Amino acid sequence: MSTTLNVVTSQEYKYGFVTDIEADSVAPGLSEDVIRFISAKKGEPEWLLEFRLKAYRHWLTMTEPDWAKVNYEKPDFQRIVYYSAPKPKVAKYASMDEVDPELLRTFEKLGVPINEQASLAGVAVDVVFDSVSVTTTYKEKLATVGVIFCSFSEAVREHPELIRKYLGSVVPAADNFYAALNSAVFTDGSFVFIPKGVTCPMDLSTYFRINNKESGQFERTLIVAEEGASVSYLEGCTAPQFDTNQLHAAVVELVALDQASIKYSTVQNWYAGDKNGLGGIFNFVTKRGLCKGKGSHISWTQVETGSAITWKYPSCILLGDDSIGEFYSVALTNHKQQADTGTKMVHIGKNTKSTIISKGISAGDSSNSYRGLVKIQPRAEGARNFSQCDSMLIGHTCSASTFPYLEVQNRSAKVEHEATTSKIGEEQLFYFQQRGIPAEEAISMIINGFCKDVFRELPMEFAVEATKLLSLKLEGSVG
Amino acid sequence: MTSAVASNLLSDLLSGPRPAEWEKLREEAEARLARRDLPTTSDEDWKYTDLKALAGITFGPAPKATVDISGHLLPEMVGTRQVFVNGHHAPHASCASAVAAGVRFLPLSTASEACHALGMVGPTHNQSPFEDLNTARFEDGAVLLVPKNMKVALPLHLLFITKAETPIAVFPRLMVVLERGAELELVEEHHGKGTYLTCPVVEIRLAEGAILHHERVQRDSDEAFHLGTLKAEVAKGGQYHSRTLSFGARLSRQQPWVRLAEGAEATLDGLALLDGAQVADTHSFMLHAEPHASSHQLHKCIVDGHARAIFNGQVLVAPKAQGTDAKQQSRNLLLSETARVDTKPQLEIYADDVKCSHGATVGALDPEELFYLQSRGLNADDARNLLTYGFAADVLTHIPVASLRRTLRQLVMARTQAASLGDFA
Repeated sequence: MSTTLNVVTSQEYKYGFVTDIEADSVAPGLSEDVIRFISAKKGEPEWLLEFRLKAYRHWLTMTEPDWAKVNYEKPDFQRIVYYSAPKPKVAKYASMDEVDPELLRTFEKLGVPINEQASLAGVAVDVVFDSVSVTTTYKEKLATVGVIFCSFSEAVREHPELIRKYLGSVVPAADNFYAALNSAVFTDGSFVFIPKGVTCPMDLSTYFRINNKESGQFERTLIVAEEGASVSYLEGCTAPQFDTNQLHAAVVELVALDQASIKYSTVQNWYAGDKNGLGGIFNFVTKRGLCKGKGSHISWTQVETGSAITWKYPSCILLGDDSIGEFYSVALTNHKQQADTGTKMVHIGKNTKSTIISKGISAGDSSNSYRGLVKIQPRAEGARNFSQCDSMLIGHTCSASTFPYLEVQNRSAKVEHEATTSKIGEEQLFYFQQRGIPAEEAISMIINGFCKDVFRELPMEFAVEATKLLSLKLEGSVG
Repeated sequence: MTSAVASNLLSDLLSGPRPAEWEKLREEAEARLARRDLPTTSDEDWKYTDLKALAGITFGPAPKATVDISGHLLPEMVGTRQVFVNGHHAPHASCASAVAAGVRFLPLSTASEACHALGMVGPTHNQSPFEDLNTARFEDGAVLLVPKNMKVALPLHLLFITKAETPIAVFPRLMVVLERGAELELVEEHHGKGTYLTCPVVEIRLAEGAILHHERVQRDSDEAFHLGTLKAEVAKGGQYHSRTLSFGARLSRQQPWVRLAEGAEATLDGLALLDGAQVADTHSFMLHAEPHASSHQLHKCIVDGHARAIFNGQVLVAPKAQGTDAKQQSRNLLLSETARVDTKPQLEIYADDVKCSHGATVGALDPEELFYLQSRGLNADDARNLLTYGFAADVLTHIPVASLRRTLRQLVMARTQAASLGDFA
């Protein structure tokens, strides 16, 4: 091992504080009664309870997937709190003034703008704290153009016909182990509906925060863009620092009709555990977009820096002819983190196109895997895919793996996959230092260069945050 | 999901008597087989290769038979030939008179020095059931030993021929040991007629600085199942270069496993030419166990008809294997509407100072290239055939044995209908 490049020790997780807030929680454990409790608590219609129970009964027959390249102690599903909400002082907040100041301070500390005046102009935010959505900003302004942006629970109450039509239409309740679990116990999340022909006037954003030590977070996001509509959606997340593992099993469904476009960006910074691998979030998430209409377009951009274990494959089902799917990903793992992430591009329609750019950076004792599927179905005349998966290793105790699956059943398809591995070399660092740039800054610059193709796809504010986040995570990586 | 359909196959094949030698080895293999079923498509390793077709067939033991090998002789290799028919040595068809003194090239059944070395190459767990079947039931095989520093001038020729009047199972076996600094060229061919299951196992051990060039040709019958295993351990500075050309069999699977020690080199090239309802699967494992080794893999498939090609190439770089240089390419050409390719190049890296890359492409012929050739006066068919032939030819170019190269080029030309374009061989 070199003298300059040494074992990586990242800066302390700065979002690791706990908010001491009175919570309304159910006892740990999962049963039909708990599901009925959640459903009743949310005042849900009968059909939704049925949806949950059906998912739960199916989940009971399923086994946890173990094909991913991650090792962890399987969560005990009877020890998780499935519902936890900050206890409201009043039944419903009429204005921000009534929100518990402790909660407001939490989000202030996190830098999440939940006060419209103080917020970044042009970004509407839905804030989810443990199991419930706390507030959604700019709702009225968005409503004037017909855009619906609200918490999932509210959508169930206000727009049941839309939820009923689209819920589970992309990720069926029985899709996989964690999706089934989510379908049974999901508590809140965001709902976005962009009507025909509307370009959403501002970026929409949801901020997820896990606070309760025993609670899992099971949120559900559903975004529907009608014909010709377009939207850019951002997702951020943090959690306090506990020495136990919390489970985060979300489901995100995107539906794009003819010529619609959805851009979904994530900066994932769940607590990753300490440097000995104690604590941290298990991030087992199912994200899938359906390009249902002709010429529709779904783009996933993710910057994954947190979580002890990541198991996540944002996918695109390219059903409509001429539809486009994109996946841009930076996954950084450090210390004992393990990530198995990638995408699926399923080409069904004619002349469908997909692009996959994945950059994996592993440091410390971490393990970072790309796993992807490109499937060209027989009917997908003229389908086209390009994938590039690059890995960078920092230090000699980490690992990087690539598992691309290419399944091609149409000869007019053109599928290309490339992968390379590189490291930050002594010479590169020497070159920087020789020109007066300290090693630490040099590493940050090299990594930013390595990730440029992905960062370019992020909305402005996120790109700045992501760049900062990566350098924070790798701070102290030179000795 | 277990293989209810095929679960009798393993026990049926093991119902015959166990040959006398290598008893411990065979018992261990049988014990492992007793604990398992045939793999199904729900096993990740067999996800794309369905063995259901094996289920309906009862394979009997392979009888001794005689065959005419005149069509398989190659002029460069007169007197350096061993022939096995249905897994039994065929002394009348074999001729080893020109094999250099000191080189041992003979049937396993007569080579006592091989006893202790057999079954020692490669990992001692995770054997495929077909490797274990071979170990449990092989009748005979070939042993090839080259002493220290001997550079063998003439290439050696090994023919495994199967003649099946009724469905039979054969278990060809080969062990190659090159001592320090030895060099050898080996041509291994598989031919056959009728319906049969062949599960060849090849073990290769190359000592320090030894170099083996290994050409492997699979031309089994169109009704055959070929489920082969190859394991090679390459010591410091050794080189193993192989090229596997698959033309026959309704279902074939090649499972090469190579371990590279410090500074060793390996090439694992492959070409599969498929048509009809053929399925050809290659599952390779390249283990960079020590520093500064390099490996190179080019795997090409041309798929026509309803055929399917499967490639799963795993490269593993161990933590101490700094300075590894590993390249892997999977290139696939689809010629028909119903052809299918499933490819999965796979990298697992545990060392940071390495140069590793892999790539995979799947597609049809490039319309621009077709147009270019047509603009130079070739008709559409000739343009297509020439490009198809060209796609295959770069794997064949470096075959050192000229007559074999010519034979295979002609075969590829015939299969790609490029013969009308004249002789480039």
